[in-house]
Amino acid sequence: MAPPGGPRPGWSRRAQYGLFFSFLLAVAGLVIGLVLLALSLVAPKSYASVRGVALDATAPVTSGLRAVTATVGGIFTGAGNYWDAAHQNAQLKRERELMLQRIIEAKAISQENSELKAALQLREHSRSTVASGRIVGSSFSSPRRYAIFSAGTADGVRVGMPVRSAQGLIGRVIDSGALSSRILLISDRASIVPARILRGGQPVISQGRGDGTVDLRPLEVGHNPFKRGDIVITSGTGGLYPPLIPIARVVRLDDDGAIARPLADPSSISFAMVEQPYEPAAVAEEAGSAADAQ
Amino acid sequence: MMVRAALSQRRAIGQGPVAGARYLPAVSVMLASLLNALPIVSSSGWYPDFGFLVLIAWRLLRSDAFPAWWAAPLGLFNDLVMGHPLGLSIAVWTAAMMLLDLADRRTMWRGYWLEWIFAALLLLANEAAEWRVAQVMGASLPFVVIVPPLLISILSFPVVAWFVSRLDRWRLGR
Repeated sequence: MAPPGGPRPGWSRRAQYGLFFSFLLAVAGLVIGLVLLALSLVAPKSYASVRGVALDATAPVTSGLRAVTATVGGIFTGAGNYWDAAHQNAQLKRERELMLQRIIEAKAISQENSELKAALQLREHSRSTVASGRIVGSSFSSPRRYAIFSAGTADGVRVGMPVRSAQGLIGRVIDSGALSSRILLISDRASIVPARILRGGQPVISQGRGDGTVDLRPLEVGHNPFKRGDIVITSGTGGLYPPLIPIARVVRLDDDGAIARPLADPSSISFAMVEQPYEPAAVAEEAGSAADAQ
Repeated sequence: MMVRAALSQRRAIGQGPVAGARYLPAVSVMLASLLNALPIVSSSGWYPDFGFLVLIAWRLLRSDAFPAWWAAPLGLFNDLVMGHPLGLSIAVWTAAMMLLDLADRRTMWRGYWLEWIFAALLLLANEAAEWRVAQVMGASLPFVVIVPPLLISILSFPVVAWFVSRLDRWRLGR
């Protein structure tokens, strides 16, 4: 069926030209969009300042409302805690006794460790927290896994810094505005973390799967070194993430690796900390050579 | 139905379009984009792309909601709020408007199911573009990951279309 002669708004020249120019503008918009997209794919840093301003513009809404959702969520979990409280109380007391014993053991080990390190004259970086804040939002309608963090350049946060919480590693900063920043979570596909298994220390690579879990692959091909329940920690290789931060716990094995769930769940952690890159010099060198390559 | 609506005088005399009725569709698209600033921390990106849903719902409801080229600045706003690489929504949204212009010329009649199919195809194209761009940026996910969010978007389109039609009636004072 041949199309009819197109939308004619009657005999008015003005209306006809209006339609035509609207079409030309739409074509121009499409071309501009494609060019901008190509530019942001080739040189992702081009629009850093614009994106930072946009982050700051929406951050107050996000942070303000986060308090409301956290309170509402807290009411429900808080009410749930009263359910079966006596049993829970007894269980918590038992766990506390166990924990106290463990803490004493750990203190002894850490003291021994520092003595051994002093004996070996190991040079170690003092770990410094740049800023702490809260995870206030996320990219919940995109295949990428980003989170919005409530601290920005005004607090000293810079692109590339690692972010962690008390429970474990969260990710690294990829955009920063003055008041807030965007974090690439470890569960994003583009997020690759050099790691090792806590039990045995075998080096592995952790890569996100985009659905809140991570893929673990051993560096040495051969047998599958993982067991269910294994904890994976950062190895410090590459110089970005500091070593010994817990990353994830193995939940399922597959043919040559494992699938693990991050220990720090961005939706339930209360505070996160931005730290300096472990080896700033190594990271800067890498960034410099990447820029040269482009 | 149409005739009865025209005959029955339910509208109060003197009631017309609300102030700024011309810009209300565009503003509603921007507000829908702003839903992404809601403090929801989710471990999977299965929520629908609200801005795009409202945009195509308006365009399918009526061809004069806003000129086709307005999709470009609206897309820029969406990119900035969502944290997409700049230009993704600009290109996809403008292309969607032009495709729907083409569909207007090619189709002889329109119905509920045909509009839903158009919307589903556009949502698929949007998700696929997002997936492809993520792949180019170093996040090469398997294609099946776009299926759950796509199904959720397609199923939520009728709700958004209903909401937009109510908004249209309110804006024109009907």
